[in-house]
Amino acid sequence: MTTDWHLDPGLLEQYETGVLGPSRIMAVEAHLLACAGCRALIPADDAWLADSWSAVYDDIHAPRVGSIQRLLTRAGLPEHRFRLLTATPTLRWSWVLATAAVLMLAVAAARVGADSSVPIAQAFLVLAPILPVIAVSGAYGPPADPMHEITGTTPAAGPALVLWRAVSVIGVAVLMATVAAVLLPGPGWYAAAWLLPALLLCTGTLALATVLSLPVAAGILGGLWITGVLAAASDERAVASMFGPTAQLAYLVSAVLAAAVLILRRRRFDLGENR
Amino acid sequence: MRRRRQRPIPPVSEQSSDAELLHAIAAGETSALRLLHHRHAGWLRARLRRRCADPDVVDAAIQDTFVAVWKDSDRYVETSADAAAWLWTIAVRRLLSTLRGPAHRWLSGPADELPDVATTPSAEELVLLGVEHGALGPALDRLSPELRRLIEATALDGLSVREAAKLLGIAEGTAKTRLMRARTRLRELLT
Ligand SMILES: [Zn+2]
Repeated sequence: MTTDWHLDPGLLEQYETGVLGPSRIMAVEAHLLACAGCRALIPADDAWLADSWSAVYDDIHAPRVGSIQRLLTRAGLPEHRFRLLTATPTLRWSWVLATAAVLMLAVAAARVGADSSVPIAQAFLVLAPILPVIAVSGAYGPPADPMHEITGTTPAAGPALVLWRAVSVIGVAVLMATVAAVLLPGPGWYAAAWLLPALLLCTGTLALATVLSLPVAAGILGGLWITGVLAAASDERAVASMFGPTAQLAYLVSAVLAAAVLILRRRRFDLGENR
Repeated sequence: MRRRRQRPIPPVSEQSSDAELLHAIAAGETSALRLLHHRHAGWLRARLRRRCADPDVVDAAIQDTFVAVWKDSDRYVETSADAAAWLWTIAVRRLLSTLRGPAHRWLSGPADELPDVATTPSAEELVLLGVEHGALGPALDRLSPELRRLIEATALDGLSVREAAKLLGIAEGTAKTRLMRARTRLRELLT
């Protein structure tokens, strides 16, 4: 380029930490696009670079390998989402962490919730579908965001991604808890069953979001749950029955139905997400 | 579809130009893709991070970008636009389609298809190169954020007005009006 002006490491650091004014950010970005020398100045994170490359390498050498991926793709999980769920090693660790957190939550709930007369158990019931989702988004960590003022106004991954992650984590957690329950007789069933409302809320919200906007869908389902809990709150037996075998079976069937809707209407889903 | 060239390709090294690397990639050279990735992934990451706070989304967009380059590098060879600008247009569209879902057909055409023509630097972009010296810097700083973001998305990110409108969550007509207003305002501030 004809300009003599180039970036220096100090300016680049300011750019990366997000302390530059808007016009200087634009100047840096415009210059980066035009000047190979300055692009090379951006410090390389070798570990990250190696991870990123190995993911690319795996992909181009085994483009369609994963039978799990093929299954999930056929089941309606868009390919780019699968990549997002498995993309990086840190992400896989987040997933393990999230699964462990959800399982622990389920076990804790199974112990506390077994006696539904305790107030804390009531609170657990109200929050049942939401706690695992919170655990999942917590495990994936707050997004590293050194530049709030800018990213605050640009689109972030958003609630839909959180729900997809939650489905992938809670689904596996339910499976694991069920296996554990088969192997170990006792209250294990209760832990698995406790996760079902959460699974229903996630898949149901995503399915409903094919028709309505995501916040409205989440609001409707969350509202239904809380109304149900409040209506049952006066009667101890009603509360217990919300987690009884019949109710659990209903949750499971509804979650499967919601998943079916999601598969059938997957094209519409992203429109819903878009709103 | 993938068409690999028949004629022999000279071996690539760290010193090869982007265009040479892309020719080698079109001929099926993984090592060339690796060199291209190592050369460009860093700055793409730094720049994408300014547009999305979620590091996983950014990483996935970068991986997608190079997978797409591998699958369809012929398109670059045909258009022979500037490689960095071309990579950026792919990366920013991958990021957008992750953020907004495949409803972004309007962004990237059919899945996996790369943009036909890389962004030719627009007039504004060329002016921006001089932003550090001229009066444009202060003028841009004085522009309202909504107008500035539109200039950024169109001139700097190489998005069309329609894509920029989607990115910012406004109607296309609104984006057009705002862009016009931004240009007028800049002209006012510069005189
Ligand atoms: Zn430079």
